[in-house]
Amino acid sequence: MGKAAQAANLFDSSVLTFQFHTGDQQQMATEETTIKDQIRQFVCEELAGAKGITVVGDNESLIENGVVDSLGIFRLVTFLEESFGVKIGDEEISAENLRSVDMIEQFVLRKSGR
Amino acid sequence: MVYVLQQLLSASAARYPEKAAVWARGRSISYRELDERSNQLAHLLMQGGVRKGDRVGLFFPKCVESIISMFGVLKAGAAYVPLDPQAPVDRIGYIIGNCGIKVLITQDERRRSLDAATREALEACVVIDEARESGKGTGVVPWPALMEYPASHPPVVTLTETDLAYILYTSGSTGRPKGVMLSHQNALTFVEWCADKFQITHEDRLSNHAPLHFDLSVFDVYNAIEAGATVYLVTEETALFPTTLAKFIETHRISVWYSVPSALVLLLLHGDLKAERLPHLRTVLFAGEVFPMKYLKQLAQLLPAVELDNLYGPTETNVCTYYRVDRERLASMDKLPIGIACENTEVFAVNDKGEIVTRTGESGELYVRGPSVTCGYWGDVEKTRQMVVPNRFQPNFEEKVYRTGDLVTLGEDGNYYFVGRRDSMIKSRGYRIELGEIESALLSHPAVREAVAIAVPDEVVGNRIKAIVAAHNRDAIQSAELQQYCAKRIPKYMIPEIIEFRESLPKTSTGKVDRVGLSQENLPLAV
Repeated sequence: MGKAAQAANLFDSSVLTFQFHTGDQQQMATEETTIKDQIRQFVCEELAGAKGITVVGDNESLIENGVVDSLGIFRLVTFLEESFGVKIGDEEISAENLRSVDMIEQFVLRKSGR
Repeated sequence: MVYVLQQLLSASAARYPEKAAVWARGRSISYRELDERSNQLAHLLMQGGVRKGDRVGLFFPKCVESIISMFGVLKAGAAYVPLDPQAPVDRIGYIIGNCGIKVLITQDERRRSLDAATREALEACVVIDEARESGKGTGVVPWPALMEYPASHPPVVTLTETDLAYILYTSGSTGRPKGVMLSHQNALTFVEWCADKFQITHEDRLSNHAPLHFDLSVFDVYNAIEAGATVYLVTEETALFPTTLAKFIETHRISVWYSVPSALVLLLLHGDLKAERLPHLRTVLFAGEVFPMKYLKQLAQLLPAVELDNLYGPTETNVCTYYRVDRERLASMDKLPIGIACENTEVFAVNDKGEIVTRTGESGELYVRGPSVTCGYWGDVEKTRQMVVPNRFQPNFEEKVYRTGDLVTLGEDGNYYFVGRRDSMIKSRGYRIELGEIESALLSHPAVREAVAIAVPDEVVGNRIKAIVAAHNRDAIQSAELQQYCAKRIPKYMIPEIIEFRESLPKTSTGKVDRVGLSQENLPLAV
């Protein structure tokens, strides 16, 4: 990943307000439902939470509601790469793949061949 | 003679009637259409009670109607107030009340999202989308209604260049945003300077990356219209994704780009930018924050034939200095200058003794003088008096200068260099943020005893925000809850990403919160 995502990680590692993708959750990630759960949890608590947004529908556009900003996108990508072992190219970082929790799940499933 | 902004449109509409003036979301309108629709909107607004000098709010995401609305409001002799479509409704309500907006151009859903008191204060809402039948209330005017008004000419209104054209709200240190009033003269001074300096022609294709409530957009819109060029509005969705944005520049053959540096850095790092894919790009302008040298050097290498200009200036002056990147010098430079004053503008630095800085290497606060300087903040005489002050260096007649609050150094090369701020204003993604406004939001929560917001430097976006809070009862409040609370009061880009709780905040020997100490504790790790 590039600098933006690295910077995002460094910032997060300085003070951890939330703990995510623990070992238990990663093991559970083999099932589709838990992939979505993990994505939803990251989006809600890590991205939406810091923007003061409480409820995010699976279908809702994260772009329109302001859940993701230019750095949030790269934090999300880093999260997906680390949690699901997928490699995401810059050209795949697009609204088509990352617009909503549902679409992110579909994208991860496609990427991981599930 | 051009003395109000809408004359730029009528001149270009006469010259290039069928040429595309604006493109947004897959739709474009010609100069003739833009001129006619804005004439009609002006008539409609006046019919709805808008009078010369009134303020009209624009509250919807960027689209073709944004530009029609800007010109329509100006043609009615009023000033437009672009409202951040992503801002909390509380803040929007405050701004509507603060500058007495009585007519709002918006979307139906957004109109409904406003609190009851704000809705009642509005005399009319022009809704650009279909208002639901059941939701039509008194004072709701559907956009198509403008087609019933005369298209061929604007209403007759007597204006001078000193009349207000728009008000841009920026972060205020006392907890509420402040409205910077800009006149036609303020805007035209800048637009005419840009037209000359960057030689914009009718063949150019300009991007509009900045939101319309951000002063960078003044160049994109008015310089495109002035030249008879086309402006391509970049939506949030496109702006978020670097490769999508790079494709946008390529597909629309953008020739002149203007944005905050952080957008260019993300394009550079993740946009797969290649000079051969952008053969039309000739000029890249950036402003709003310091461009990290490391990335500027990379950008200059990547786009060898593109002219790069660093523009500097607070909203109160739009742009007051500029520096054209000298590629030969760039390799050996470690700091990018903000440059020299624009034509028809004077800048000077004033040191601690109150003298004008004349020696190289000396620092002082930058003052700006000239027709681009704001006449002040809407409804805030006190703040205006602090910032727009009599020019005591010119004894012959009464004149005002703007104190930027920016500390600069005069370099050996004759350029000014930005050093820092006199106060606690910071920049993040080019947005002006008063840390005091964030602290006010935090402190207004009943569980919060003390709060300080600090800027954590970041290579890409300039700064990220962290807050340190002492609560009355630590168990009574969580950071997520406090972030939600802030979201109702301040824009998303101002909400602290991290909130750290402490028993109490460290103090200096004089009993003030030790901001310097806290900031030093929170420097980013080396990348």
